[in-house]
Amino acid sequence: MWNYPSPAIVLGCSQRLLREAAQKRLEGRAELLARESGGGAVLTGPWLLGVSVVLPNGHPWLGEGLLESYRHLGQLHAAALAELGIAAQSVPPPTVADANDRLGRTADWACFGSLSPWELVDAQGRKLVGLAQRRRHTGVLLAAGTLIAPPNWQMLCSAMGQAHDAPLLRRRTVSCEALAGRPVAAQPLASALQQALAQALNLAG
Amino acid sequence: MTEITLDPDAWKDIDPATEALLDKWLVAQGDTVRAGQPVASAVLVKSSLEIVAPAAGRIAQILVPAGQTFARGKPIAVLQGAT
Repeated sequence: MWNYPSPAIVLGCSQRLLREAAQKRLEGRAELLARESGGGAVLTGPWLLGVSVVLPNGHPWLGEGLLESYRHLGQLHAAALAELGIAAQSVPPPTVADANDRLGRTADWACFGSLSPWELVDAQGRKLVGLAQRRRHTGVLLAAGTLIAPPNWQMLCSAMGQAHDAPLLRRRTVSCEALAGRPVAAQPLASALQQALAQALNLAG
Repeated sequence: MTEITLDPDAWKDIDPATEALLDKWLVAQGDTVRAGQPVASAVLVKSSLEIVAPAAGRIAQILVPAGQTFARGKPIAVLQGAT
């Protein structure tokens, strides 16, 4: 589980060419990093709870292709969020295109600017949890990020030279706080996810 | 001559129109590689994936440069003189 006390922009592995320009635009207001998994840029900060799951090759979650790994992680998040009274559902692969179209134009440069299979949305189709993974011959890293509170989308969009996309990200996303109608702390969700992971991965003592 | 491709299992259940992005080459044309050695990194549905050499040999030709996309089953390089 990852908490982020201060903002940072984390680029996807295929966005490394954008790093220099983004660094200049940021003018030191936030750290800029690049991750080894795919997808668009993520704005970490106090509004985000991150989850990393490292699995050995051959694990049952990995044996049925990329999408099955996402399904396991997405559905686990849905169950943990439901424990906190937050309703969200994973987007099955055949419905991803329609789910993306439902809210108008996408912004593929940002993780939260579009939907991929088994990511989590609310009843209006707004994205709440993003997923990614990195597969290597030594093992697999599954990663997820949940919006606890509304992020500073303007900071991300300005740094990426896409200032006009801030309204789009606000329209296409939703936070736990917005869905619950009250402040939501990261810790209860982190605990629920830890318990669910321990159970699902047979780690419970 | 052996073709190097992304593991077919990676494409399972993925929309046939979806392409992968050749993110990074880890070896250069002319390099000698071992069987199972990662030679390139690709991105498919937000997943970063290794592409490995299916046998030992020399990278005779790179068919998909870094930054380009490729379809299911398309070879990304040709491996020659497997030993």
